[in-house]
Amino acid sequence: MANIVHYINQFFAGVGGEDSAGAGPTLVAGPVGPGRRLAELLAPEHQIVATVWCGDDIASGVVPAIIDLIRSVDTDGGVDLVAAGPAFTSGRYGLACARVAAAAHDAGLRAVASMHEDNPGLDEAGTTPVVASGEVARRMAPSLDRLANAIGLLLRDEPLTAADGRIGKLARLTVMADATAAERAVDLALVRLGGDHTATEIPLPRFDQVTPAAPVEDLRTAMVALVTEGGLVPDENPGSLESARATRWLRYPIAEIDGLQAGEWRSIHGGFSTAYANEDPHRILPLDVGRQLVAEGAFGSLFGEYFVTTGNGTSVANARRFGIEWAADLRHSGARAAILTAT
Amino acid sequence: MLLCNLISIAERVGAPRIVPTRGIPYPTGDPSLTPEAEKEWRRRLLERALEALQTVVHQPTVFQVGPATKAQPDTKAEPETKAEPETKAQEAHA
Amino acid sequence: MALTRLIHHVRRVGLGQRTTFTDGELTVSTDEAQGILADAALAGVRLSWLSPGESARIVKVLDAVEPRTKGPGGGGIFPGFVGPARPQGDGETHVLRGTAVVTAGFLPRAQEALVDLSGPAAALSPLGATHNLVIEFTPAPDASWEKVDAALRTGSLRLAAWLAEAALDAEPDEIEELPSPSPVRRDRPRVGAITNLQTQGLFKDVFLYGRSFGSSLPTLLDPGELDDGAVVSGQFGHPALKNPTFMHQNHPVVNELRRRHGRDLDFAGLVICPEPVNQADKELVSAFAARVCAAAGFDAALVTKEGGGNADADMALKMDALAELGIEAVGLYAEMAGTDGTGPSIVVAPEKATAMVSTGNYDHRLQLPAVDKALGGDEFALLHIPATEAFEVPTAVVYCALSPLGWGRVTARAG
Repeated sequence: MANIVHYINQFFAGVGGEDSAGAGPTLVAGPVGPGRRLAELLAPEHQIVATVWCGDDIASGVVPAIIDLIRSVDTDGGVDLVAAGPAFTSGRYGLACARVAAAAHDAGLRAVASMHEDNPGLDEAGTTPVVASGEVARRMAPSLDRLANAIGLLLRDEPLTAADGRIGKLARLTVMADATAAERAVDLALVRLGGDHTATEIPLPRFDQVTPAAPVEDLRTAMVALVTEGGLVPDENPGSLESARATRWLRYPIAEIDGLQAGEWRSIHGGFSTAYANEDPHRILPLDVGRQLVAEGAFGSLFGEYFVTTGNGTSVANARRFGIEWAADLRHSGARAAILTAT
Repeated sequence: MLLCNLISIAERVGAPRIVPTRGIPYPTGDPSLTPEAEKEWRRRLLERALEALQTVVHQPTVFQVGPATKAQPDTKAEPETKAEPETKAQEAHA
Repeated sequence: MALTRLIHHVRRVGLGQRTTFTDGELTVSTDEAQGILADAALAGVRLSWLSPGESARIVKVLDAVEPRTKGPGGGGIFPGFVGPARPQGDGETHVLRGTAVVTAGFLPRAQEALVDLSGPAAALSPLGATHNLVIEFTPAPDASWEKVDAALRTGSLRLAAWLAEAALDAEPDEIEELPSPSPVRRDRPRVGAITNLQTQGLFKDVFLYGRSFGSSLPTLLDPGELDDGAVVSGQFGHPALKNPTFMHQNHPVVNELRRRHGRDLDFAGLVICPEPVNQADKELVSAFAARVCAAAGFDAALVTKEGGGNADADMALKMDALAELGIEAVGLYAEMAGTDGTGPSIVVAPEKATAMVSTGNYDHRLQLPAVDKALGGDEFALLHIPATEAFEVPTAVVYCALSPLGWGRVTARAG
């Protein structure tokens, strides 16, 4: 019999609503609230040995304490799995469930969280399994059915798939297929021609939603930065910027110069023919025209450095980090806008 | 604000303000032009970029550079926007 | 039209006084080979064999060519480079299977590319299982890099033809009859291939009949023309995602369509397309390719690419253009999902045509062991460490490891 610890919030623990949202993590023996139904679904193979609950306002910030409580559960054979939720679309609760499950997973325990796909906490689970719940607590019963099924699969070390209601990030794991990609491609074409209009090996990617920045209010006084992913560096590439799969970005001063001479600058980007860029580096970084426009008063000033990386097979994670670092740096330096040239 | 040629990628990843350029290897140039004409083209790209920076957008929005004229570009011109990008994004997730 | 491949299996290799092929043993005369490779742009060349299982590595891998010939002097093989630029793809072609002529060394803009002959990376590259005649070179002091590149390309193709000539009188181990795709509709689905080629100018170009394919429009090609080397690679970016000449000669999607032709499908044809460097031309080429496929009566097309994210844009446009004309499109994609596999894996995905096959994750890390010997250079340029050392690399640097033409069995799955 496997031992499960169930994580829920103060509301489902029956302690209270918003008035109790600041309550700290608490350990209770056996199942509580929705855990009772969950325990029935899991019996007789598995049991809920304890419940940990915490107030929504503080839970996501005290995850280590919650994990300590889970580990303190005194039971024969130790804790086998941590289940969290269902959190439905509740943001704070979902975030806590995601973080508790992820932390338990990192601590070497099996873990699963339950929440709706639109719950803003979902991404925080990383690659720790999450199964879909309904949107609201009225959908508790089917949500618990699905969670119980997922717990069963995980405890039997069976794969938890989209067919079982799995949502959130699934790591793309590198494996060897039985057939070559060419053979599988022909098979897939015949499956599609046979009337299956959804078969694929790669689900469509999901990108971040970007909130547009507000317009620059007074451009005539604003400092604007030039930034590029076009791999433009001083000719000797002193910072050894990578030509592909960049892991870093660099900054070079341009405050003292009005233009970029061929031969003094070059692009080391490995993703396109750089002959044009090397002939006239302004084709990557428009410093000459930028200076003109400042002189004419079109905008206040140019930031004294430009930022550069190489956008060629660069991972989204690194690119996201560069973007965050650039934005923070420019904001700190007083720049109000950035013009990014991309190849 | 983004100056690039592959606007389909830029829109897909949600870049809010996009000015399309003429080729991947030369975002702020066009080697087919004389040096003077190329610099003028670069100037128009940057002027359009500055207009974009002063425009409210709610979704990936493409600011085409208009045909060459000596007149100042009309900053009131409605940018070309993608119809219903939210719907499109949802389809992409389906 | 039909092509007959006369396959000679190479089981042993060596260097010797004369170039001969006897009982599966290929002996190469270094003097003769150096004579063939001699060019004003090259101060010198060095030839070495590396065979599967050796504790050896090739770095800075450029192109690879399978030795083939159609007769004395090449008989028209590699048209536009070795033979005259006249249509090929029928008659007989001798193939030295199990061997490759490989150029390796520094060229500007070439991305560091690696082949291991043993260890975990060996199984990921087609060159991990072939006897490789590696050509290392010293450029002439006054030669431009363009001339060095051209000399290596022409020289390695000539050498490949010359090696195969040694087998002209040998009894082939296998004979393969390869009919051309038929324009006639029968009662089976008509499935064809679209092959995108990365054409971006110097050191990043692909040649059709000896000409840069860069500014061309899509065209139907007889698959036999690939066998005879009408498509030659001069593209040295994205090692795992490139299609060297060797892979065009052995195009896995084409070979699979040939294998299944007349069984569960009819091979409808092959369309090759450039990958232009701007959006408008990408759109034109994609729409044009879809029309060519429609004219050739494709019910479905297997679309392949060459290169990274920029090439994904060509894939998406082409697959959607096919879908608009009612042609099912299946794309072969390498994923760029980050080292932990959780990033968005496709830079530009199609919107209408969503059938994709995964050739693996570009960012997946591999631990490579130290080796006794390395050719192509002393240093592994990506990490600035000696080429013989043990190191960790992304799959992206292993030659053809994520072959867009579908050679490999590596894939990525949600898990």
